[in-house]
Amino acid sequence: MNRLVIKNLKKKFNNTWALEGLNLQLNQGEIFVLLGPNGAGKTTTLKLIAGLLRPTEGEIVIEGTNLNDDPIKAKSYLGYVPDEPFIYNKLTGREFINFVAGIYNVSKQNYETRLTELMETFDIGTWVDELSESYSHGMKQRVIMCQLLLHNPNLVLIDEPLVGLDPKTSKTVRELFVRLKEEGKTLFISTHTLSFAREVATKIGIINRGELKFIGDIEELSRISGKKDIEDIYLKLSADNGIV
Amino acid sequence: MNDFLLILRVRARMFFASIRSLSAIRAVSFVFVIACFVLGAYYIFIRVFGYLMSVEVIGPGLLDRLIEMALFVFFIMLLFSNVITSFSTFYNSRELDFLFSLPVPPTSIYLAKLFENCLYASWATLTIAFPLIIAYGVRIGAPILYYPLSIASIVIYLFIPAAVASMLIAILLRIFPKLGAREVIMISIAFILGLTYLYIKINNPGLLKIFETENEQTLLLFAAQLTTVGGVYVPSTWLSNILRGFSDGSADWTFSFLLLSFVSLSTVLISFLIAKACYVRSWLSTGEHASKRSRRKSLLFHPQRQVARTILFKDLLVFVREPTQWVQLSIFLILLAVYVFSLRKTPIYFVFPLWRTIVAFANFAYISFVLATLGVRFMFPTMSLERAGIWFIGSAPISFKKVLLVKYFFNLVTAVVIIEVLLLSANLFIRVGRGLYFLLPIIGLFVAASLVSINLGLGSRFPHFHEDNPSRIAAGSGGIITALISIAYVGISIVILATPAYNYLSHTFMRMPVNYLLVYSGFAFFVLFNIFTIIVPLRIGIKSLERRDY
Repeated sequence: MNRLVIKNLKKKFNNTWALEGLNLQLNQGEIFVLLGPNGAGKTTTLKLIAGLLRPTEGEIVIEGTNLNDDPIKAKSYLGYVPDEPFIYNKLTGREFINFVAGIYNVSKQNYETRLTELMETFDIGTWVDELSESYSHGMKQRVIMCQLLLHNPNLVLIDEPLVGLDPKTSKTVRELFVRLKEEGKTLFISTHTLSFAREVATKIGIINRGELKFIGDIEELSRISGKKDIEDIYLKLSADNGIV
Repeated sequence: MNDFLLILRVRARMFFASIRSLSAIRAVSFVFVIACFVLGAYYIFIRVFGYLMSVEVIGPGLLDRLIEMALFVFFIMLLFSNVITSFSTFYNSRELDFLFSLPVPPTSIYLAKLFENCLYASWATLTIAFPLIIAYGVRIGAPILYYPLSIASIVIYLFIPAAVASMLIAILLRIFPKLGAREVIMISIAFILGLTYLYIKINNPGLLKIFETENEQTLLLFAAQLTTVGGVYVPSTWLSNILRGFSDGSADWTFSFLLLSFVSLSTVLISFLIAKACYVRSWLSTGEHASKRSRRKSLLFHPQRQVARTILFKDLLVFVREPTQWVQLSIFLILLAVYVFSLRKTPIYFVFPLWRTIVAFANFAYISFVLATLGVRFMFPTMSLERAGIWFIGSAPISFKKVLLVKYFFNLVTAVVIIEVLLLSANLFIRVGRGLYFLLPIIGLFVAASLVSINLGLGSRFPHFHEDNPSRIAAGSGGIITALISIAYVGISIVILATPAYNYLSHTFMRMPVNYLLVYSGFAFFVLFNIFTIIVPLRIGIKSLERRDY
């Protein structure tokens, strides 16, 4: 069974098509990286899968469950990290993590030990007990990564995972993604960081103006575009008349 | 100066752009609601003023005293609301990071924020003051000059509390840079309460007491006292002198207008100089000292076993840590407690059971209207305040229905406690009969359940996810529509209950036969109406949340 199946997914805002007929299948142990210029439809795609936007047409099936038919069950398989890591200003990082654990009904067995391990992984210090209104973008991002792994989703959706992270945490995140893939998790990542895509992706998609221009692995990309450097490939394929 | 005007122009453009973005239905509803409110208030004022003018000897004096007291109450309310909104406007707004990074003098930012804060904190008071002043002018037959002059005076008047509040907070933060929002607002409010107490002490509150005498000499003395306006150092007195100057010439409006203008300008100038000296440093210190305190003991220090409890605890924490929320709620509740305790001293002519029963019904209506107001201010913004976490709630395995229902029961318990405590203690002080003593609180349960549903349901239908200030969320077009619907709900409920109430009064005090069909059908209709007002708004809210793009 596919972990994620997207069939003819379309989204229209007022009179503008933000996404036009996206089709995609992801299996377990895959890291799919979606590349594209600003306004191409990357965040829209992720929000549609996360259930934050309603599709105009098409369907999304997560672990065999149609998101439209049984959203609660479908969402129980996924974890989502938005591009802007908002946390309730008047909660501390720890309270936010515990709030998420309460909503996902995370098992209480060894909870504190797992939380401590994750906090160490993401270098979260005593500031986790201060109100999040004093956090930087990177601190919020680390708290959100921590809550994501605490409820252990099969399908991970991440919008711009490296923005605001320091080099050390960035490296930790990259290593973590590879480890998650090896554990059989599926990751759907939207990013502008091409080196990151080259390093972790098992499958790459290039989207522009709401249309998926390319889907395949890095070798296919090089072959189709005739370029070897991922930056050149990206610029060629994401251009208005890019090869499909 | 140019920078200041530029910032104001940008704010004005943003405001007009937000109006243009409203749908036609919403824009028409907004205008309709405001028009209904202003016209309704005008109608009430003109009737009350007309009645007072017709009362011999003491009527005109009472009217003047009423106007002065109304303006004084406005002044205190404006001070409170300016203090509450000042902290977030001057020190805790996300826009400030951007503004302070620009090559703009901090004084220009201060002046632009002063205008913004004055507008936000004063518009509600202005909406009531406007029909009051017009109705007063019509009643006293004022010349045409009265209208532009009185409106100009009110606008000048508004800047005094705005400047005082900003000064107070700037000075406090300069002296005690480590103070948080909660402490600053509490100290400022304590200071204002102290000043208010002093004013009332100096201004002889005896003049406000209900007058009871049969002695003509005492009556004339009382009437003479009424026209002696006290508290010459208070801006509300100068404003009332400007208005009164057109009625009987008993006050020199020219002097009062110049005095008011001079004091308003001076207050703004002093606040400007204080801002020049310490605004930047105060703003920087709030950023440095904000929220660094570790919170190791809290309701969510460990994860909860139940989803409902998790949401409830999160809401509680967010509420108690947001000073603008609980400070305003505390002020409301203190004022309500003062009102209820004042019922202990009901006037002498309320000793008769008939009057006591009528007062009990009137009190029930008043408390219901107050709950409607509280609902719009505190319950309506509840769903909008999820803005920071809406990405999480929308993508988590939890339905919006469940989230809204948890919030509904939490708010319902709060509303029931407030309305029941107020009704039971008020009924005790009014000394109503046993039947009514218990009946009104039962009806109160329905009122609480409906008002919570209306506010949460419509708050979800008209959410404001881009705003994090609950006062501003409640002041938006959705909040105003909800306020009107809440007030209409209370009005319709009172009309429905009027028939059984009239039967009860006729039977108890005039020995008239009871029409049981009318009584029972009245109550049955009230229950059916409330089932509708409880279920429908919640359903509208849930459907809207489920169908929305986030």
